[in-house]
Amino acid sequence: MGKKRHLLSLVGLALTVTLVAAACGGNSKKSTTSSGTSAQKGGVYRTALEDFGFTDAFDPTGEYLGSAWDLFQTLGRTLINYKHTAGAAGNVLYPDLAQAMPTVSSDGLTYTFKLKPNIKFAPPINRVITSKDIEYSFERMNIQKLLAGYAFYYGPGVIKGFTGKATSAQPISGIETPDPNTIIFHLEAPVGDFLYRMSMPATAPIPREVASCFDNKPAGTYGRYVISSGPYMIQGSDKLDASSCSTLKPISGFDPSSKLVLVRNPNYDQSTDNLRANYVNGIDVRIDSNTDDIFNKISAGSLDGTFASTPPPTVQRTYTTDQSKKDLLKINSADRTWYMVMNMSVAPTDDIHVRKAINYVLDKAAMLQAWGGSTAGTVAEHIMPPVVIGGNLAAGQFNPYASPDNHGDVTKAQAEMKLSKYDSNHDGMCDASACTNTLMINRNYGPWKAEEASVVSQLAKIGIKAKAQELATSAAYQAIQTPKNKVPLGLNVGWGKDYGDAYTFAFPLFAGASIIAANNSNMALVGLTSSIAKSVSAPFPSTAPPSVDSDIATCEKIPATDAARNQCWANLDKKLMNDVVPWAPYLWSNVRDILSTSVTKYDFDQFAGQIAFTQVAVNNNLSPSAS
Amino acid sequence: MWRYIVRRLMWVALVMFVVTFLTYIIFFVLPPFDPASAFAGKQPTPELIAEVKRQFGLNHPWFIQYLLFVKHLFLGDQYGWPGLGFSYATRQPIRDLLFHRLPITASLAIGAALVWLCIGIPIGVASAIKRRSLTDRLSMGFALFFVSAPVFWLGLMFLWLFWFKLHIASGTGYVPWTQSFGSWFNHLIMPWVVLALLFAAFYARMTRGNLIETMAQDYIRTARVKGLPEWKVIMKHGLRSSLTPVISMLGVDLGTLFGTAVVTETVFNLQGIGQWAITSVFAGDLPAVLAVTIVTALAVAIMNLVVDIVYAYLDPRVRYT
Repeated sequence: MGKKRHLLSLVGLALTVTLVAAACGGNSKKSTTSSGTSAQKGGVYRTALEDFGFTDAFDPTGEYLGSAWDLFQTLGRTLINYKHTAGAAGNVLYPDLAQAMPTVSSDGLTYTFKLKPNIKFAPPINRVITSKDIEYSFERMNIQKLLAGYAFYYGPGVIKGFTGKATSAQPISGIETPDPNTIIFHLEAPVGDFLYRMSMPATAPIPREVASCFDNKPAGTYGRYVISSGPYMIQGSDKLDASSCSTLKPISGFDPSSKLVLVRNPNYDQSTDNLRANYVNGIDVRIDSNTDDIFNKISAGSLDGTFASTPPPTVQRTYTTDQSKKDLLKINSADRTWYMVMNMSVAPTDDIHVRKAINYVLDKAAMLQAWGGSTAGTVAEHIMPPVVIGGNLAAGQFNPYASPDNHGDVTKAQAEMKLSKYDSNHDGMCDASACTNTLMINRNYGPWKAEEASVVSQLAKIGIKAKAQELATSAAYQAIQTPKNKVPLGLNVGWGKDYGDAYTFAFPLFAGASIIAANNSNMALVGLTSSIAKSVSAPFPSTAPPSVDSDIATCEKIPATDAARNQCWANLDKKLMNDVVPWAPYLWSNVRDILSTSVTKYDFDQFAGQIAFTQVAVNNNLSPSAS
Repeated sequence: MWRYIVRRLMWVALVMFVVTFLTYIIFFVLPPFDPASAFAGKQPTPELIAEVKRQFGLNHPWFIQYLLFVKHLFLGDQYGWPGLGFSYATRQPIRDLLFHRLPITASLAIGAALVWLCIGIPIGVASAIKRRSLTDRLSMGFALFFVSAPVFWLGLMFLWLFWFKLHIASGTGYVPWTQSFGSWFNHLIMPWVVLALLFAAFYARMTRGNLIETMAQDYIRTARVKGLPEWKVIMKHGLRSSLTPVISMLGVDLGTLFGTAVVTETVFNLQGIGQWAITSVFAGDLPAVLAVTIVTALAVAIMNLVVDIVYAYLDPRVRYT
């Protein structure tokens, strides 16, 4: 018995020593900071994400996902584009396929673009891109069954003849192509941010000879056959047999379940493009369902960096506390605001004093901690992220509901509540029945769930006993976006720009015309009228919610090239925060990218809100893997 | 026996009807949200949502949708047979996705089953023969540990130790065996072992218990008295009858694994049908959810039938009419 016990002890000791040795052994590669050496051409940027999550199967006509738009910057040149860099400079417009910024008529109704000559599609099309190809991309957006998610930016009421309800690809009366290198847009009314709309991926040229084969198939089918006009193409494009519709097979380099591999477009001419550096020879995006595995692979060097993947808190902590890894964590503004929305048509949030009190009382510092601390973003002081309004109202310049260390100001909140009709005894606490079990929709996971306790606790200090209903993301959005549900509070919501102009915040979120019966983005019901309320089955309060429609219309008329436009949006933001108070914004979130030491140059595409593939450089000297 | 098989197949059909009907109700009828909204973009107009519903077939009453689904399942659709429609998320035919993912799950499940049988049964036999010995205690300790260890934790530990630290194992992912048999094997050996350890523990305990009971039977004593070597007594007489419940369990486990190895598939990034089911639920890709449900239910039902038939061959006392 004694011998057996001795043997067991030795076995246990050996196992322990082995495990400790393995744990302390470390990797063969040491983590060092990025060398900061000059960028070199070559190599492959290898990355992975949990799921592509495409909304329209990667068809540029309908795809409405930021990470997809980031990939489209490598595959589609548009008339107007960006420099794919971080910050406000990343939202500045430049000509891309166009020789120069367009000629605009004095009444702002006609935009004439001249195309750069001899820019070609990638294989297998190989021909010169013409104005007809750009016209066709608009014809596709105009076809209702192709589900063009942001066709509303082009009509009805924008480009003449563009309705978004066509049954097939047909000429649009407001688009003229007098010659292969000229395209003219005729608008129904001046649109100040029209040039921003011309930078959207859906406006990139599309070859009719391929895409028309899918106009009668389920929307999104073209997504596996995307023909590039940009510096890269989907691997295997050159092997696509485009001689007829029946010979077309999905391009081998894209499998929505597992990978998207991009290689250089042999027909691309770098001398025609000063917006993209295109250092890498390939971009290899794989699906990896294990988030920890993605970051382990980056650390081990078998991936070069992240793409559309949020680092788990443990990984973030490693990269913020380890001096040798700090340079490998890149943080940029996502141009996105996370907020609590307050329904202005139902009690108690139909009272502006209640809404102001909520803004005062929230502990935004605690909410930021729930999101992961300072790397997750900055406390939101107003509605529109400063980058979206050209740097106006930067941090500290306008914070109407400031509180000590952003922990909430109960005194001011209660003082505001005293002015409310729902505080009958003016003690700073809401005592109406609407403040008991006040429904608050929230998500059932992640930072939303983590911040919920703080929010409920703070609201209780002004007498609002919030009853949180936690739902999955889709269900939470549908609950809060259906006006007839009469939900007073929504904590699950956030909003990011579509392009670098605040119109993409102002109109969908605060225009009366945006209020619809389902999937309503104007969840606060700003500008609600009695007729709109009836049409969407929402209650109409005794005091009509304020409207900012005229402010939006005024700002929208100012050309985007005029600095007065961003000032106008900034003034609207102030009016919304002071006089309307539809939200309690609490976070301007960041995008966090983690890189491997193989990355020698990194930049962030502020338009798409992701790593700039056209500016990143690596030193791994790899070639794109065979498809 | 044939009458029995036909009768069982009819029951399988009934089970499949009930399972698909209930799944349809749970995912298409009961949810408080509209699945079309997830694929209509950030600012969908009512017309856009209506068009999405029309393309996804969600514009009919739910019972019409279900009847159309059953019709296409049996008669096929524009993508072939069985007609499972297309994925809302990727617009690819569901049947193509299913046939692509099934071999991955099959590789995982069958490989793991072989491994757990190779581990569990010998351990169970050794433990039964040397009851209350050190071997028995170590074996049952092993069983207890791996029954308790969560699969996701085990998987992450294996990855961390053998791939990340020691660099002796391939990382995550799947390589088809037609592309490279060696790479296929290297990528699957860790998921096999991780999945097998849990089941091996169960099988070891079950084998031990059954064998102990069998070895106490009279015919075992008769075999010994006849002068048979002890190993023959155990392997030919003892193990054979004690394995019949193990075979039953194997069939059920194998069938169930076809839809439920989701944790292993997720940890090791194997694009099988279990992982597909989870991502489809989160993405609202309901045709994919239905397809996985059908496959899993069919796998369990068919494996149960196969096990019952094998049972009859193993145990002459069992006869079906």
